[in-house]
Amino acid sequence: MNPGNPTEFLWWEFFDIRWLWCLVILPILVIAYILLLRLKRNRGMRYTQTGIVGAVLPRQSQWRRHVAVAMTLCSLVAITGAAARPVGVEKVPRERATVVIVLDQSLSMQATDIAPNRMDASRQAAKDFIDQLPAQYNVSIVGLSGTSGMLVPPTNDRALLDRVIDGMDLRDGTAIGDAIMASLSAIAQAPGEEGEEPAPAIIVLLSDGQNTAGNTDPMSAAAAAKAEEVPIHTIAFGTLNGYVDIDGQRANVAPDTALLADIAQASGGRALDAKSADQLDNVYQDMRSEVGYEEVKKEVTARWALYALAFAVVAALGAVSMAARWP
Amino acid sequence: MSTPDFAAPKTGTTMAAGRGDVGAASSVLREPTGPTIPLNRLAPEAALRRLELTVVRRLEGFLQGDHLGLLPGPGSDLNDARLYVPGQDDVRRMDWAVTARTTVPHVRDTMADRELEVWALLDATPSMNWGTAGVTKRDLGIAAIATLGFISQKMGDRFGGMVMHSDSVRRYPARSGRQALYGLLGKLLDDPIERDNQGSGVGLPDGIEALIRTQRRRGMRIVVSDFLQPGDQVLDPNVPPDWERPLRRLAVRNQVLCIEVVDAGEVEFPDVGELLIRDPETDFARYVNTSDARARRMIDAASQAQRQRVDQAMRRAGVGHIRLQTDRDWVADIARFVLTYRRTAAVLHQPPQGVSK
Repeated sequence: MNPGNPTEFLWWEFFDIRWLWCLVILPILVIAYILLLRLKRNRGMRYTQTGIVGAVLPRQSQWRRHVAVAMTLCSLVAITGAAARPVGVEKVPRERATVVIVLDQSLSMQATDIAPNRMDASRQAAKDFIDQLPAQYNVSIVGLSGTSGMLVPPTNDRALLDRVIDGMDLRDGTAIGDAIMASLSAIAQAPGEEGEEPAPAIIVLLSDGQNTAGNTDPMSAAAAAKAEEVPIHTIAFGTLNGYVDIDGQRANVAPDTALLADIAQASGGRALDAKSADQLDNVYQDMRSEVGYEEVKKEVTARWALYALAFAVVAALGAVSMAARWP
Repeated sequence: MSTPDFAAPKTGTTMAAGRGDVGAASSVLREPTGPTIPLNRLAPEAALRRLELTVVRRLEGFLQGDHLGLLPGPGSDLNDARLYVPGQDDVRRMDWAVTARTTVPHVRDTMADRELEVWALLDATPSMNWGTAGVTKRDLGIAAIATLGFISQKMGDRFGGMVMHSDSVRRYPARSGRQALYGLLGKLLDDPIERDNQGSGVGLPDGIEALIRTQRRRGMRIVVSDFLQPGDQVLDPNVPPDWERPLRRLAVRNQVLCIEVVDAGEVEFPDVGELLIRDPETDFARYVNTSDARARRMIDAASQAQRQRVDQAMRRAGVGHIRLQTDRDWVADIARFVLTYRRTAAVLHQPPQGVSK
């Protein structure tokens, strides 16, 4: 069945929006209800001693009556929405994807605020992450340093990836913009069938310091990624008081969370931060749901019909509780 | 030829008693369209012949009636001779024989021969067009008037009626004889039923005032009503209802009987679930959960207090009081009242201080 194109109406998307014209009846029903309330003098039971009934009778709540009517209206709204075939979002595992993992290999990664040091923790977490990705995904590694470059083109050879990660050495400088551009060129090299559209690509960028070098501005690189519909999920790694000793000088190497968050937002990804090895594991867990699943629009008529039924049952119970004389 | 129907006629006035239709119960939903009881079932005329209303108050009239007055007056029966009072007695009534024998002027006194004039005021406001049993309150009132009318049917006694609606009071002149009484009852039954929430302005006090205004002869006055004021919330028996004062004025010259008509649904608030209750006379309309036992108890207690207030007001006004209920036999109730009344009437109808009988 061809679901057709969803159209948004108020806060929800529907495949078959013409059904929503039925909602025009609802204001008419509401007006009719109010009019009936006004005209209630013509209905009801005649009784003579209403003076003392009005004076003596304790306050009796009337909300059940209105709740029943409101529930009926809600049920009508839900059933009309169900007829219009509402669109829901469901997470489906991705069949194929290209994942580029950008790992920081700048000198600041030797800081020991995260045991044993940032680089080792990052390596271990990245290897675990890659191992848990589905086997058919192509993974590429990009090193982030003053001279960022692709270390491995997209491949599904997990052993090769592990070896490359283990062999990463520390280099000077941090060029985030260049790393993103290198990732985009790695994505372009992803293997694929002829005539088949390329697999969706995702960049996971882990960085622990300030952007210090590079030919490309990080924000324009993020814009380029956005243009190619590649979301960049960023991980700001390290604590604020991390430090390294370089040439006998102690330098503070706090991650630039603001810049990373801007990059993620500009490219449509998520920005996370990790201040310990455990947190990094958790972050990679989150990443896996981002990377491994995609959101697909599906018809959720059944759920709306269930809501309508629930409202109708509540309305019916309210009506019955008013009409019947409980023993 | 259709086969004859040998089934016994339906008897009873309620559904439970075997009556096919619902009686006056549809008056709970809307105004009744006509009388709920036929003319020939208003009162058993023959059975009532032996009952008589005791009249203790002074009457006027010329005919040879059955009601002997307590004070002497113009009449044909010789009673006694008494001293002549100049300026008060007519010289034509001088008893010359006694005067000659005693050498003191005497007049011949005659026994007063009175006729009774009965006027009945029927409250026909919308709250009377209501009943949950066999008859509506209005028709029960007409039946009570019929019963009292047949009881007071003696030679020369006259019976008149007034019907009070919420916009006017209609008067049917007093005539004597049982045909005239039947005519009056028929007119009362055929009197148009008043619509709900129509005009207002005329209440029970105005109806009693009209009864006072139109009276020409002393006699008996019957006021048939539910004695409920629209929207009245007062329960304190020491606060006089606004019909008490006119009723007292009516009782100054007349012997007054008040017939209070109530319905079982007013004595005991019904348990019928949640429903919208509206008043036929005021704009009261409210959803009431009648299944609430506490609410029913409170309403029952309040309506009992209201009836006690009516009782006390009538006792203060010095009038006779009969309470009839739509689901009971009114003839038995009235007969019981009349039998007791023979002994209690003289005490009950003591005129106010300074007023002669």
